Formats: sequence, C-alpha cells, structure tokens
Amino acid sequence: MNISMTRIQAILMKDYKEFSRNYAVSVMVLMPLVMAFFINKSGSTTIAAYFITINIAFSMVTAYVQCCLIAEEKEKNTLRSLMLSPASLSDILIGKSLFVLILTMVVVALTIYIVGYSPANLFILAITLILSTVFYIAIGTLCGLFAKTVMEGSLIILPVIFIFPFGPSALAFSSNFPILKIAEWLPSSQLVLLAESLEGTYTTMDVIIPIATIIAWSLVAWIVTGFIYKKRMVD
Amino acid sequence: MNAVIDVQHLKKTFNKETALQDVSFTIQKGEIFGFLGPSGSGKTTTIKILTAQSEKTDGDVLLFGRPANEMKQSNNRKRFGILTDNSGLYTRLSIEENLLLFSNLYQLPKSSVKEALDFVNLYGDRKKKISQLSKGMMQRVTLARAIMHKPELLFLDEPTSALDPVNTQHIYNGLRKLNEMGTTIFLTTHDMSEAEILCDRVAFLHKGKIRAIGAPKDLKKEFGDESITVELKNGTSEVIQNGKQDAEKLFHWMQSNEVSRIYTNEPTLGNIFMQITGSDLV
Repeated sequence: MNISMTRIQAILMKDYKEFSRNYAVSVMVLMPLVMAFFINKSGSTTIAAYFITINIAFSMVTAYVQCCLIAEEKEKNTLRSLMLSPASLSDILIGKSLFVLILTMVVVALTIYIVGYSPANLFILAITLILSTVFYIAIGTLCGLFAKTVMEGSLIILPVIFIFPFGPSALAFSSNFPILKIAEWLPSSQLVLLAESLEGTYTTMDVIIPIATIIAWSLVAWIVTGFIYKKRMVD
Repeated sequence: MNAVIDVQHLKKTFNKETALQDVSFTIQKGEIFGFLGPSGSGKTTTIKILTAQSEKTDGDVLLFGRPANEMKQSNNRKRFGILTDNSGLYTRLSIEENLLLFSNLYQLPKSSVKEALDFVNLYGDRKKKISQLSKGMMQRVTLARAIMHKPELLFLDEPTSALDPVNTQHIYNGLRKLNEMGTTIFLTTHDMSEAEILCDRVAFLHKGKIRAIGAPKDLKKEFGDESITVELKNGTSEVIQNGKQDAEKLFHWMQSNEVSRIYTNEPTLGNIFMQITGSDLV
C-alpha cells in the first residue's frame, strides 16, 4: 500500500477548509447536538435514548458529510484531478476519511456530554464508537461514489439516515413482526446492545459479538467501496 | 529519438459504438503534437486512454516505453501534467490554496506555487477564490496546476479556448519556453492558427480515425496549391501559376507599377481538414 502522510495531510486540510465554507453541509453537525439537548431536557436516561442521538450523529454527520464531500468532488470533477495527481487510492480515501473521523469524534463526544451519559466502561465503548465511525465513513463514501451530484447524494444517503439510527427501535416491534428481528444485526443495534451490557455484569462474548459484527460490516463496506471506487473512476 | 508516446492500432468502443478505430501515431521527445478534430471525433477519449483514465478496447498504447495502464501508478503520474476543459478546481478555495494542495500532493517546495502563478500571470490574484474567477482565469489556474511539477509530458485539451488574445499570447510564450526546456506537448484544439503557431506535427482525427498526419508545412505542400494571387491597382485580381508565361505577366505588372498586393494561395490547416474529411472542424 502506497501511503504518504504529506498527501493525506494536504487532503485533510483541503477538506477542512472546504467544509468550513460549505454551510449547507456543515449545518448538519448541529442536528445530533440539538437532539441531544432535547433528550437531556426530556429527562430520559435510558441507553436506548442516548444512543438514538449517537446513531443519528453517525448517520447525519459521518455518513452524510462523507457522502456529500465525495459527491461534490465528483460533481466538480475534482476527484478526477486528485486521481491524476500522485495521490494513491489509499492517500485519497484515508485523507478524506480522516477529516470526517475527527469531526465525528468531536460531535459524538459533545453528544455524549450533552445527553449526560457516563459510560460504565469508556475504553470498550470508545473502541466500538471508533469502529462504528469507520463503518459509517465507508457507507458515506459508497453512497457518494454512486451519486453524480451533491443533490443526488443527499437522496441516496436517506435510507442510511433512516435505517441505521432507527433500526434498534424497530426491535421493539419484532414480537409482532418477526422479520424485524434482523435489525438486531445492524451495527447500530449491536452498539446499543454492547452499551447496555456494559452497564451491568457482562461476559466476554457480550463484548466480542457486537465488536466482531461491527468489524464485519466495516470490512464488507470498505471492500465494496474500494471495488466501486476503482470501477467508477475508470471510463 | 525517444518515443514519449507510441500508439498502434488503438481501438475504443463504448457499448458497441466505435469511438476510435485503428489510431496509430508516435510522438518523439520534445515535440509539440497537435490532435485536431471536431467535437466527438475522439480527441478526449484518446487523452483519457493515454492518461489511464479509460481503458482501450484493442491496440498498443505506450507512454515512456511502458503500457499506458502503468500511468495509474503514483510515481508515473508525476511524469505528466494535464489540462482539460473541465477544470476540476475547488471553488471555495483561493487560487493559492488550490495550487498549494497540488504542490503538497506532488511534494514540491512552496516556491513552485509562485513560479506556476507567474507563468500564467496570476500571482497578483492569488488570494481570489476560484468561484470569483472568469472562465479564462480558471483555465490559467488549471494550466498552472498542470505545469507546476515541470512534467516531461503535458496534455492540453483546448488550452486557450476561453482566453483573450493577450493571455493567449502569454500562454503560447510559456508553452514554447516549457517545450524548449524539454517538455513534450500533446495538444488538442479546434483553433487552426494555434496549431500552426505551436505544433511541430499535427494529426487530423475524424470520426475516430486519423485522416492525415504530418508537419503543417508538409501537409500544406501535399494538399496545397502553389499559385499566387495578384491584386492590381485597378481593383481586379489575377491568379497566376508557376511558369514562364505567368512570370512575364507578373514582371510586366510590377514594371508598370500596377501591383497593389501579392499573396500566396497556401491553404490553412482548416482548408486541408475540410478537403480531406469533407466536414468543418467545429
């Protein structure tokens, strides 16, 4: 793998400058924070309530912003310019993902602070949150690669915005609709299950299964993303 | 002489539609080669194949003696620069920020940004955002980006299409300077005068096939007319050919001070293109 820190840093800084001047996309950062504020004010103290806002942060900030950044690069033909430079596939994908990773970490940390959630095992939860971010970045990249414009990207990402944050809530209806049991295997549901386990006594498997599930989703998403990137970028 | 580009029997099809058919040409190191043809003739497709943005259907395409597909490799991309009609600039960033990004991607010193901006006469405007620029200025920024790493080979797709005469001349001078420093230039254009001014050799591409290839002066000789037109002071004009009879006529007019203007009937590259293909270049 051909990786250059100078190039990754250059792409990261470029994305930061572009994002900070793109109010239509950067305003999305406020959504989970506003939701977190309302959850705090509602007095709800369940893990499920906390994680609705965290999962919204993942879909509306991580996946949505990444999707828009990629779609805009395609719309303005700048992704082609990057590809024709010495930046490798890894440089471009890592550089573009790093910005969204940092942004997500800040937003999720603020969300957790605003809702007033203090995790019982911060270390395990932090690792799982980072793994979840990696998954949502892949999904955002993938949706961005399918879009030709930012407008199209905003539509393509909609199922992600609905399915992943609200998937765990769908489990409540699984006794009437057994098909909804499948939602248990969503990375967002696994994150909630892990967080709930961490609050009580838990076994090693209670930690390993959610983490392994999120890693599996991430791996599949990144493999598909890499394949689509290579395919879409050659006429 | 080393061939920088060697294309043999190149074929490209898109969904059964043939875009390029049996295209063959070689470009030597240090040449300025013009690829002339109307829209849709296959010029951009050729550039995309040469720069590994598109895959050929058949034929051999070598750049620097290696298959064009290898141009996907990071180190090989430093060997060429490209300017296309679709600028690919970051519109929320300034001219300087755009070039700084690429200077970092090519791992060049910061001074390369100033050099490139001086080359396109834009150093004074470096703080302007791309979204505030005219199409001509954007074209100059894209050109600055294409040459900032001093590539061995430069692909230019309609480089002066949106420029005014002063900046066009500025770019021509710069391109000649780059060429003198050893850069090989592959240029596509509709502008016949541009091709005549800049190119050592040109190829006429029509409906995906090369119809003629050679130095502009050789093509003019091959397809041209050796006659000259004499405009006389009485308002009439006469076309005269090589030969004793017409030479005597011309001598007589000159001796009796009747000649107002003399010009050759050498065809333009546009005339030759029309003669060969039966269609216009636009």
